[in-house]
Amino acid sequence: MSVSFFIIFMALLQKLLLLILGLALGIGLGLYLGWVAWPTEFTDANPSILVENYRQDYAHMVADAYAGDGDLTAAQQRIASLGGNSQAFLLSVTLDAILLGQNEAEIRRLVRLSADLGLSSPAFGPYLSVDGDAP
Amino acid sequence: MSRRHRSVNGRSAAAPRKKFSNASLILLGLILGLAGALYYAWVVAPVVYVDASPSRLSDEHKAEYIFLVSQSYAINEDWPLAQQRLAGLDDPAAVQTVTSLLETYVREQRPSDHIANLAVLARQLGGEAPVIALFAPTPLADEPPTATATITPPSPPAATPSPTPQPTITPRPTVTAVPTSIPDPTAQPTYRLLNQQQLCADDASTPQIEVVTLDALLEPLPGIEVLVTWDGGRDRFFTGFKPAQGEGYGDFAMTPDTSYTVTLADGSPEISGLRIESCDNGEISGWRLTFQNLILQPESPEP
Repeated sequence: MSVSFFIIFMALLQKLLLLILGLALGIGLGLYLGWVAWPTEFTDANPSILVENYRQDYAHMVADAYAGDGDLTAAQQRIASLGGNSQAFLLSVTLDAILLGQNEAEIRRLVRLSADLGLSSPAFGPYLSVDGDAP
Repeated sequence: MSRRHRSVNGRSAAAPRKKFSNASLILLGLILGLAGALYYAWVVAPVVYVDASPSRLSDEHKAEYIFLVSQSYAINEDWPLAQQRLAGLDDPAAVQTVTSLLETYVREQRPSDHIANLAVLARQLGGEAPVIALFAPTPLADEPPTATATITPPSPPAATPSPTPQPTITPRPTVTAVPTSIPDPTAQPTYRLLNQQQLCADDASTPQIEVVTLDALLEPLPGIEVLVTWDGGRDRFFTGFKPAQGEGYGDFAMTPDTSYTVTLADGSPEISGLRIESCDNGEISGWRLTFQNLILQPESPEP
């Protein structure tokens, strides 16, 4: 009787192990397909996912667009779409542009947008005092 | 007794073994694991892209990105930078994408400068769609050398009107003409010249000046007063009186050795120096002028 029980137990254990093996294979395959081969296609990916240099460039474009149309509400929404502390990010982009001595007209547009969004810095002064191509 | 006998009987125990063979158990586990893992990977914990390029943006944000590129290019005129930005979209059909966005902007009646900037971007990319040519027309300097008409600043109409030499317009009651107005030389033109084309007719019809007026969305615009002046004469006609030719169409018969100047009463550049000329095929030619209204009207008119 005990031998029969042992045989049955071993048979069941074998089947259980096979089932677990199948599960493991299925999970591995499923994760590969779901994360690597066919990952979820996002439908709401916003600029916050962009790599740093693209985020900075995006801020530059927002400042350019604001210089063109003067739409502060739209500019504010676009900067906010960069995610995180977007205003601090805009300030850092503007200060970087000043410190790196980038194109003056570009700096002026960034400074104008930053100032109109309520940001301030002593470095803004020279770029706010002279009329440029600000909106 | 019999139950126990059955349980140890090889014949009776073989039934469940056949039902769940080793292969079927692995397959069952594989299917369950696959389904569970896909649910987890796609729904519970999907891939979150960070440090991505603009090509990962949603369609809505891609459109916004392209719009910003066009606005920025309009400001800084840095074409290599605009190209570099568009390259970030990793879109092999960028021209079609930008053109499609332009058409969407036109349908949504976005501000005219937004539409124009987008059209310029599409043109720079090499787009040749009609909507691009109409909203970002190539400068007249690139027109064929046969065009002799020039655009001059607006000036007041001739002070002394004279009788109409050859009226060719047959008014139809279906179109209501707008009242006559005198163009204001100091005002910004309401219309711009989209296209100027020499007409070389195959038949022996009288050469004529054909004027087509369009609204900001390039739909035919009837009832627009067109002023025609020449040395010692002046006349006017309205578009829309020949619906068979188009609701925004109107024409005026030309006489030889006369130089005509055409302008719209609501304000447009003056097109001067229009005279009958010879075509390459030996026929004499007239002119077709297409004007576009620069003011976008709201979709539903106010009561």
